[in-house]
Amino acid sequence: MIHGVLAVLEHDLRVFFKYRFTLAGLISMNLADLLIMAVVYTRMVSFNYFQFLAPGVTATGLFAAAFLIGREVNMETRRGYNEYLLSLPLRRSELVLGRVTAGGLRGIIYATPLLILAMLILKFPTPAQFGLMLFAMYLLSMGISGLAISLAVALRSFERFTTARSLLYLLLIFCSTVFYPLAVLREILPGSLILFAQLNPLSAVADLIRGYLIGVPPVTTQSWTELLAFSGIFIMAGAGLYRVAIERSVQ
Amino acid sequence: MTKILLVIERDLRSMVQQKSILLMRWFYAIIQIGIFGLAISRIVTVMQDYYTYYAMGVIVMTMYSVAIYTGYEIYDEADLGYTEYLLSIPLTRRELVLGRSLAGGIRSLVFMAPIIAGFMFLIGIVDPLRVGMAIVALFGFTFGVSGLSITLAVGLRSGDKFDIIMGALDAFIVRLSSALYPQAFMPKPIAILSQFNPLTYASDLFRWSLNFNTHFLANPVTSVVVLIIFLTTFNVAGIAIYERNLEGGTWR
Repeated sequence: MIHGVLAVLEHDLRVFFKYRFTLAGLISMNLADLLIMAVVYTRMVSFNYFQFLAPGVTATGLFAAAFLIGREVNMETRRGYNEYLLSLPLRRSELVLGRVTAGGLRGIIYATPLLILAMLILKFPTPAQFGLMLFAMYLLSMGISGLAISLAVALRSFERFTTARSLLYLLLIFCSTVFYPLAVLREILPGSLILFAQLNPLSAVADLIRGYLIGVPPVTTQSWTELLAFSGIFIMAGAGLYRVAIERSVQ
Repeated sequence: MTKILLVIERDLRSMVQQKSILLMRWFYAIIQIGIFGLAISRIVTVMQDYYTYYAMGVIVMTMYSVAIYTGYEIYDEADLGYTEYLLSIPLTRRELVLGRSLAGGIRSLVFMAPIIAGFMFLIGIVDPLRVGMAIVALFGFTFGVSGLSITLAVGLRSGDKFDIIMGALDAFIVRLSSALYPQAFMPKPIAILSQFNPLTYASDLFRWSLNFNTHFLANPVTSVVVLIIFLTTFNVAGIAIYERNLEGGTWR
């Protein structure tokens, strides 16, 4: 079992590093947000926006990198690559587990340097806090990968997939506490979107990192519960859908 | 002229086929103005009408990204072997490039027209002269951006290089400009860089046309001069590079 999962993991990680141009674009975007936009906004708002945004940028980078696996799965489904995957001497469970795990790891690999940058800007946490932050990021990354895989197999057309991905991206990033505190969102959004912003896993991870690095908002059991619930649901949904879809795609 | 019009018509028709991309850009602009803009303007303490300032910047920024799309189309056409067909039709290279640049500008305007009209209506701009000036400023800018996009696409002749340069340009050109925040609040190095950015002048000229507080804007005369230089340079360069690199009927 482990051997099969590791083989899938290795394959997906190798593929990840082939996206060097996509990754370079993503890094440019994240660094420009932090090192230019946040620096200017710090001069325009009443608190240190640069420090506020550093954990948020880590969460957005993690999200974008973890979502890349959806693009791959969608392409494989459309191009008939699933037949090759199914012909490999692997159990379905190994393939599915390997892919979701790889999606999570890819997010972590991309976002860890951003987390370290946030730590350099804010403060160095204790080893236990650092471990908890990485664990929270890994949970989010796995959940996002599951979500991306679910969408990729449910919407086989590339156009529909990219449209859904962009919609989701905009809603999850902008209806979250990545760029502004929840109190500000409460002033401008209707009740349903506030609830969405509160339950948004990106808010949970951004606020968890803020909690561990600057103490505000404080880390609560609720943040962890929300994150665990989101990740659990989407990891299982993604894995289940992928398992069914990959077999149907070759029938 | 008729031939240029044919190129423009063809590019406008191809835009209509990209419905999902159009809808997503609209949605992006609406979310940026309706959520990010509202939220960030609540925490900005140094400007009273920052929300209007920001919304105007998002409009110009979105038009920039629609205009830059011309370069991606050139790559798609090259990949599909369509470039050879374009070179074989009875058009000069100059007509083709000029037509595509003009189409890029018109597409951006047509695409953003509902949002611009809605925004002007909301802030109470109904003076035809101001509306006309705003549209001319936006068109001049997007015409230049299309020229830039074509110049880079045919100059680089590598999809990977083009992708990475456009990604980096997109990330930095917007943030190193006054599209999102006035130059007055930028640290000196960022403010200096923003002075070499045409997006700064396009955004400020658009705001000036719509009667925004001139205290936070670049001089409109300077903006007009910079935009004319920008659009002339990149369209002339686009034509020259297109003629040099594509002559002989091969793309790569």
